[in-house]
Amino acid sequence: MRRLTWFNATSLTLGFAFLYIPMIIVIIYSFNESRLVTVWGGFSTKWYGELFQNEAFLDAALVTFQVGLISSLIATILGTMGAYVLVRGGRFFGRTLFSGMIYAPLVMPEVITGLSLLLLFISIGLDRGMTTIVLAHATFSMCYVSVVVSSRLVSFDRSVEEAALDLGCTPFDAFRSVTLPIIAPAVISGWLLALTLSLDDLVIASFVAGPSSTTLPIKVFSSVRLGVSPEINALSTILIGIVTIGTVAASLTTKRAALRRKREQQMAEQAS
Amino acid sequence: MSQNEFAPWNDPAAKPLIQFKNVTKQFGDFTAVDDLSIDIYEKEFFALLGPSGCGKTTMMRMLAGFEKPTSGTILLDGKDISPIPPNKRSVNMMFQSYALFPHLTVYDNIAFGLKRSAMPRDEIDGRVKDMLRLVQIEKFANRKPEQISGGQRQRVALARALAKAPKLLLLDEPLSALDKKLRQDTQFELMDIQEKTGTTFVIVTHDQEEAMTVASRVAVMNFGKLVQVDTPTQIYEAPNSAYVADFIGDVNIIEGNATKDGDRVSIAWAEGQPDIIGTPSQPIGDGRVSFVIRPEKIAISSDKPADRRNAVQGKVLDIAYLGNMSTYHVEMPNGMVIKAQAANQRRRDSLPFTWEDPVWLSWSDTAGVVLEGSGQV
Repeated sequence: MRRLTWFNATSLTLGFAFLYIPMIIVIIYSFNESRLVTVWGGFSTKWYGELFQNEAFLDAALVTFQVGLISSLIATILGTMGAYVLVRGGRFFGRTLFSGMIYAPLVMPEVITGLSLLLLFISIGLDRGMTTIVLAHATFSMCYVSVVVSSRLVSFDRSVEEAALDLGCTPFDAFRSVTLPIIAPAVISGWLLALTLSLDDLVIASFVAGPSSTTLPIKVFSSVRLGVSPEINALSTILIGIVTIGTVAASLTTKRAALRRKREQQMAEQAS
Repeated sequence: MSQNEFAPWNDPAAKPLIQFKNVTKQFGDFTAVDDLSIDIYEKEFFALLGPSGCGKTTMMRMLAGFEKPTSGTILLDGKDISPIPPNKRSVNMMFQSYALFPHLTVYDNIAFGLKRSAMPRDEIDGRVKDMLRLVQIEKFANRKPEQISGGQRQRVALARALAKAPKLLLLDEPLSALDKKLRQDTQFELMDIQEKTGTTFVIVTHDQEEAMTVASRVAVMNFGKLVQVDTPTQIYEAPNSAYVADFIGDVNIIEGNATKDGDRVSIAWAEGQPDIIGTPSQPIGDGRVSFVIRPEKIAISSDKPADRRNAVQGKVLDIAYLGNMSTYHVEMPNGMVIKAQAANQRRRDSLPFTWEDPVWLSWSDTAGVVLEGSGQV
């Protein structure tokens, strides 16, 4: 292995420091005995206990996960359909407009997306609540799904679909039995992206959320404005833990799949 | 021509399987296929040959149903197939990229079309196994496409396309991804399989050797039109144009002015040189002609051959040693270069001629083809 030069070592240290020191501080203070967030008062896990007693937080977490699951599911279906039409539809009337509209939320400031959705919901008389959050999240995250899926479709050998048609599939059957299994990894990563975006979102949700439905980011943000409580640290630590486990699991799976593919290719070469 | 030879195109009573009738296909301003008519018969191994962009792939895609003709009709078994979608046609295609389904095993790839046909479930297994046996890939039935080699993938693609026993099998550059040795072996195998199954094959290729080897008839295409449709022998020995002559194999094209001389013509082609005596396949008038002759029809010798009227002297400019034979590039006194081929019957160190040697080139009266008009391709 090559030794790091002093320049590379410095870059590495700085990179890690900027990325992780804030999180490490949060984790450390989540085990703080003291009520004051910035004063260390000895080790304790009592804030975790209090967190799980706090109904408001638990409700918000439940709402967030429900909204995330439902909206990401809708976004995945709509986004995949949109990507398929854009990549495979050829030139149809309104294609440029459609592709512009699909990618618009990517560049639009979230405040504007949130405001326009709010105005829409008010004008059609839809009461703000979980439904409106789900609709809003599905709307803005379907473009991310669409981007991920269409980049996979572009690199996809069209003749595989033609072969399915040639062998007797109807266009829908060809999509279901050939296209979908092949683009499944992209669809799944689009879904995960939509889920993450939904769990993460504060700005749009705060426009369209009603009093009965508060998501976790809104709850955290509003309670932090009244002063950071140690409970928030505990909650953050739990979230960091979940994300870490997810990321490590995903990268292990990818690595294992790559290894298996390499083995299979070697096998094929030996067989030929 | 003997009675039992396979040549339905010469039989006026034979009914063609496929008929293109004045078919034109345009993509925007570009005309891919231009007012083309052709008949293809049952059990034929028909090759569409031409450079890229000549319309051969478009013709195949129209047969498969992926493109619709802009005008004209295509008949399969006497029925217009334009309104029939690809999944309802008794036509299957083997794709250039093979287009195997990466998420299915070899077995399931072959069974894919059968599961979507009217075939009873319990017969499918037997049919798939027959196909695996036909292309000799029984061992790999449970592998995924990425776990087998390129040659094996090619076989899977062929088996998958043949599984539904189509009336017509389309092969789009089927062997272009294989290396030369494997390609040659596979060509013979393709012919074998075609004969065994009795299916009509239409193959698209830009490789003239491949077309010559496998096909019963070859259609040479250029700019969306058919230039010549004939058996490989006729295409090679009696090309109807300088384009075909030049496209298929190596050729010398000599332009000159023809004068009729009985059933022969004598062609004045260079000042101070004796006329070339040629035999036109049909009577032609006097005027500008192209004399087309293959290098292997030209003999090379150090002395003037006594028994041939066509003999010219020149000096060896270049020698291309190909192992089994050598091609000599011989420069004429007027600067023109004529290629002649000779089999290397002796070992390399005793080649009869070398650079700068004065040599005689000679050929018989019937060795070349006389075509009216200039030889500009």
